[in-house]
Amino acid sequence: MAIECEDQELLDGFLTETAELLEKLDDDLVALEKAPSDTELMNGIFRSIHTVKGASSFLGFELLVKVTHKTEDVLNRLRRSELEVTPEIMDVILEAVDLVKLLVSDIKGGDIVEREVDETIGKLLPFLSENAKEATVLKPSAAPVTPAAPAPQATETETQPSAEPSPAPEAAPVKTPEPAPRVQAPPPPAPRDDKKGDDLTDNTTVRVDVKRLDDLMNQVGELVLERNRMMQLNTDFNGGGDDTFGEEFGKLSKRISFVTSELQMQVLKMRMIPVEKVFKKFPRIVRNLARDLGKEVDLLVFGEETELDRSVVDEIGDPLIHLIRNAMDHGLETPDERMAAGKPRKGTLILSAAHEGNQIVISIKDDGKGIDAEKIARKAREKGLITDEQLATMGQREMLDLIFLPGFSTKEKATDLSGRGVGMDVVRTNIKKLNGIIDIKSELGQGSEFILKLPLTLAIIQSLLVEVEDETYSLPLAAVLETLRVEEREFHTIGGQEVLKLRDSVLPLMRLQKIFNVAPSERSRVACYVVVVGVAEKRVGLVVSRLLGQQEVAIKSLGKYLANLPGIAGSTILGDGRVTLIIDPAGLMENSDGSGGGRIAA
Amino acid sequence: METALQTKVEESRSELIQLVSFKLEQEEYGVNVLKVREIIRMPSITRVPNTPHYIEGVINLRGKVIPIISMRKRFSLPEGETNSQTRIMVIDMEGELMGFVVDAVSEVIRISESEIQPPPAVVNSAVEQECLAGVINQTDRLLFFLNLEKLISRDERSLFSGMM
Repeated sequence: MAIECEDQELLDGFLTETAELLEKLDDDLVALEKAPSDTELMNGIFRSIHTVKGASSFLGFELLVKVTHKTEDVLNRLRRSELEVTPEIMDVILEAVDLVKLLVSDIKGGDIVEREVDETIGKLLPFLSENAKEATVLKPSAAPVTPAAPAPQATETETQPSAEPSPAPEAAPVKTPEPAPRVQAPPPPAPRDDKKGDDLTDNTTVRVDVKRLDDLMNQVGELVLERNRMMQLNTDFNGGGDDTFGEEFGKLSKRISFVTSELQMQVLKMRMIPVEKVFKKFPRIVRNLARDLGKEVDLLVFGEETELDRSVVDEIGDPLIHLIRNAMDHGLETPDERMAAGKPRKGTLILSAAHEGNQIVISIKDDGKGIDAEKIARKAREKGLITDEQLATMGQREMLDLIFLPGFSTKEKATDLSGRGVGMDVVRTNIKKLNGIIDIKSELGQGSEFILKLPLTLAIIQSLLVEVEDETYSLPLAAVLETLRVEEREFHTIGGQEVLKLRDSVLPLMRLQKIFNVAPSERSRVACYVVVVGVAEKRVGLVVSRLLGQQEVAIKSLGKYLANLPGIAGSTILGDGRVTLIIDPAGLMENSDGSGGGRIAA
Repeated sequence: METALQTKVEESRSELIQLVSFKLEQEEYGVNVLKVREIIRMPSITRVPNTPHYIEGVINLRGKVIPIISMRKRFSLPEGETNSQTRIMVIDMEGELMGFVVDAVSEVIRISESEIQPPPAVVNSAVEQECLAGVINQTDRLLFFLNLEKLISRDERSLFSGMM
């Protein structure tokens, strides 16, 4: 059945609002389970469901109304303390919320599918009927808890008598009549007036199309480039040593530079959203996983207010879910195992986010059994992912990194949660795409920690300008770990692969001059530079002729004709107007891996 | 010459089109003026590694980065020196801008469509038959009418992306 909705705008509004409410619901419900006496939270949840119900009845989505209506009834009883918050009730409510999400996504997809909703509703019903009397007897004086909150919607509540703000001790049977007739009876159509649950709309914010923000961002990117050119001009000009004009121009460009930087910051901030948007899904996921796996866990979340660009936020959800699943499934032990190991029954999972310079660092830490590097190495060997020779040269850290290989999974039997052998590989790919780095710290028996380092934004990056013979290239600074000045005679060759001894490890080298076929310069150099870049868990040294310095650059696409050039992420325009290509370290490494030439030992 | 051309054009009854004519080696070519965004002098070009040989690189066109193609290399002509006449024609290729390096841009001429003859079966020059849309044979000049969108074929576009 296609959706007939005369007012597309209204529908869009409904979808956006509902999506937001539902997203928050998950988090709130899990929080409620932990703090059942939090009436404010309870009322908030009730209001959210109520708003969804009201809006969907207004738009005539009957299935949605049916489900939300019953859920609301149960919530209402909880709210009036006629029912106790138990994991069982929460399971059912969460299931109902999931169903609501499914129905909403149907509507979003443009087609309403006739879905079976009675089963879920059936699970809600017992909480409305059988306990009803008992609850009334137990908590006769519960009503006063309720009054204030639902008031804003009072006018809309004709389908839901119990939501009326009257603190009167309404008799429970009235609110919860025998469920059977109620399921069949279609809810009365909502009044055709335009009120909505508007206490949820925050008047201090404006919703702006992402496209517009992106355009604005591009414009500011332009401005930054022009600013850079002006600064350059000023530098060149002052070299000539002029009088008042030069001085004035110098001042002016400083001021413009300042204002531009501020503007850029502001626009960047506009695109920033707290990482909470992603984090708030996790309590629910952790709760469900814990119940499914029979494990006990406390999830501690820190730094959810840390802000980062929405383009990044959109991308990190999946990798984080994978990591959390892994921590729950592979990391944490069952309560019995924990007791036996002399640990507290309940495991701890710490999810934290923090700013670190121009990066955001997200860490997922558990106090589980840790990762057994030796076991991982053995597994990888058995699966033929590595050879004995490779294994022999590996340190603890390299062994841990093996879990990122495609097709790797240590768990004997794959569960439907994790251990399908694709998880960590996907995580790595996603983090790579974001120019991020992933690090593992693990101590056997003590737990493990996965650390993601991600750039704050994808539109403007800090870059390191390098010279390869006579050409200039730009390297994302986020991927640069360190730079070294070396002489070529320090290079060693192992099996055709040039390497450099770097402290206690051996660093594979890639000569950008060869990879990019750069014509050799006539200038002769004694020393060259090695830029150590890290992509995901890999390290490699890029050999360049000279380091030119650090600059903030706006990424420009090369257009569709030159898209997807291996090793090139895009381009940027430097202060002097020249175009410089931005190197994609991830692409470089991938390409050399795939080429079979073995330029880098994996 | 311009006026002579125009009179001639006005005589014919069919629709007029405007062409930008440019020189390459000894020959003269024309492309539809509606496809030409602008004509610029040679700026500094940034080489892009691992692309087909006729891709000169990319340039900064007022904040936009666009690829540059050498027409000489594309048509397998001997490489010429860049001089004061050398120009880049910025062409709108189905929404994407692309620059083409030519020896010189001469003028904008008006031609009636009836003057455009189908290309000869065997093209003498190295121009690929595909992008040659017609020949304009006037008493004092011979112009090859090009369809540049066909110059970079669909295959080649995807080729760019897969190259290393």
